[in-house]
Amino acid sequence: MFINYEYENHVYNVEVERKEDKYLVTYDNTTYTVEAEEVKPGQLKIKLGDRYIKCVVAEGKNGKFVFIDGDVFKVKPVPLTGRKRMEKKEGNLSSPISGKVVRVNVKKGDAVKKGDVLMVIEAMKMEYLIKAPYDGMVKKVNFKEKDQIELGEITVEIEKKEE
Amino acid sequence: MFKKILIANRGEIAIRVIHACKEMGIETVAVYSKVDEKAPHVNLADESVNLGDPTPSESYLNIGKIIEAAEKKGAEAIHPGYGFLAENPDFAQACRDSGLKFIGPDARVIALMGDKIKAKKTMEKAGVPIIPGYHGLKQDTKILVKEGKKIGFPLLVKAVAGGGGKGMKIVHSEENLEESIESAKREAKSSFGNDMVFLERYLDKPRHIEFQILADEHGNIIHLFERECSIQRRHQKIIEETPSPVMTKDLRKEMGEAAVKAAEAVGYTNAGTIEFMVDGNLNYYFMEMNTRLQVEHPITEMTTGVDIVKRQIKIAAGKELDLTQKDVHQRGHALECRIYAEDPAHGFLPSVGVLEKVEMPLGPNIRNDAGIETGLEITPYYDPMLAKLIVGGENREESINKMIWALSRYVILGVTTNIPFLKRVLKHEAFRRGNITTHFIDTYFKDWGEQQKGLPLDAIIGLAIYNALHPKREEVVRYKEPDPHSPWKHTGRWRIGV
Repeated sequence: MFINYEYENHVYNVEVERKEDKYLVTYDNTTYTVEAEEVKPGQLKIKLGDRYIKCVVAEGKNGKFVFIDGDVFKVKPVPLTGRKRMEKKEGNLSSPISGKVVRVNVKKGDAVKKGDVLMVIEAMKMEYLIKAPYDGMVKKVNFKEKDQIELGEITVEIEKKEE
Repeated sequence: MFKKILIANRGEIAIRVIHACKEMGIETVAVYSKVDEKAPHVNLADESVNLGDPTPSESYLNIGKIIEAAEKKGAEAIHPGYGFLAENPDFAQACRDSGLKFIGPDARVIALMGDKIKAKKTMEKAGVPIIPGYHGLKQDTKILVKEGKKIGFPLLVKAVAGGGGKGMKIVHSEENLEESIESAKREAKSSFGNDMVFLERYLDKPRHIEFQILADEHGNIIHLFERECSIQRRHQKIIEETPSPVMTKDLRKEMGEAAVKAAEAVGYTNAGTIEFMVDGNLNYYFMEMNTRLQVEHPITEMTTGVDIVKRQIKIAAGKELDLTQKDVHQRGHALECRIYAEDPAHGFLPSVGVLEKVEMPLGPNIRNDAGIETGLEITPYYDPMLAKLIVGGENREESINKMIWALSRYVILGVTTNIPFLKRVLKHEAFRRGNITTHFIDTYFKDWGEQQKGLPLDAIIGLAIYNALHPKREEVVRYKEPDPHSPWKHTGRWRIGV
């Protein structure tokens, strides 16, 4: 079977096939013949030539985690149709953390300068400052004080000032 | 001795205290908030009480509910752990008023040392050196800005009632001063209910070195040597060690005596810690006294063999210290790493989620103090520290190598942790040389990020085998090229959107 993994915006196309007591893993035009055993749930002992790969795999809500020698890699399943585009937007106004809005410094129509503090979010007793990424005008403020905000939600929308 | 103790805390420290009680044959009562119902500390205790709402002020910080729980369950004493109510004099007093023994010092001493201004004045009077700064009662932002300019930059803004890096800001230039003061005041208000701050000059090549104190209720006070806690991020410690690589025999004796003198000056009882700043010339200044058990207490336990938590319980039960200063010795070297659910590559932002897999390293002289297990959900309500890893070696080099080995075998899947970051710090040449200051992380690891190296082959093979063993229809493509124009027809690595 063929599987696609996405990691750091790269897609890895892998084929795996079972053949008697061995597995054939093909990646980047090379086929690796391995012996494998699931020692404990998620804990794999894989023999590749005379080398053992010890890895731990667990499934999360949006992806799989692989532990190899102290490093953890999180891979996402790749949607099987269509090309996924990574949108690169200038300036990030999404919340870096789930928490509570403790202060809102701007309102709709305000002119802001790059670096101005727009909103202050508190989580785990620490404050996170949302700063304007560029000069511009506030188009919309999506949260008010004491609101709960989730990771990734857009805090404030700013229309960038034309150069 | 007490028959039953309530532990007014959660996570690894609640577990640490429960273990000590069990070894001593004391029954334990755990408390928990709604989101912690399945937390390991609840399972471990003999009994438990649900405090309800997860907001700290409605659960772990709620004095009324905790006292009521202790009374209902017939506990004789309360161990506060660290954080939450551990340094709240009202709580210590409320325990006393209800006839419960608070395992810690007197409410009066907590109040005195909790007020960082009064604490410094007291220490100055007792002949312990302190750092220059503004510790005035005038808290108007304008006045603070003026005083801050007088002291000069870099400057520290710190909550009077603070601790653990909360309500604390470092200011490098005048333009950020006002915003930082206001931000520190807000953090202080929400964390401690008191928005008073003080200002202090930031020292050159500062090290954070603290001394562990044990004081019984019969006037005997000893110290259990130092802990070097200079490796900090956002003013919170992440790696601690003992002995300090900079400590000399004479300096240890002098600072130890100063620490005992500081504890004596306030009539301290139970376990406590005197924190000092030590500059490049090995001058030391009293910073603050922590009137509780410290997070990093295990490294002292590892090198002295003294069980600090059991000592706390014995002292609270009125037992006299059967140790004198001459009886305690340091052996070898110990290191502690704090494992946090946070992303060091993105400003140490906390990471939340379900722990899909947890496996801790085991081996000689490796100690895991942990509040986590597979399946536990990490919520945004509490501190993101998951566990502590402590190792001991015959010398510093040996414990550093052991720690790197142990971290490489520490499996936490489901949230982002600082484990890779801790390993990089331990491997850093300046750390190995012992050339560390509280600026270490900012100096060597500013804007740190793991380089994008792609998935290693071992991970690809591991994933493929996992998929073969646990096939999921939605993830598997039956035929290699169902669509001749499919972007997936390329094999190997390629970049999206390029």
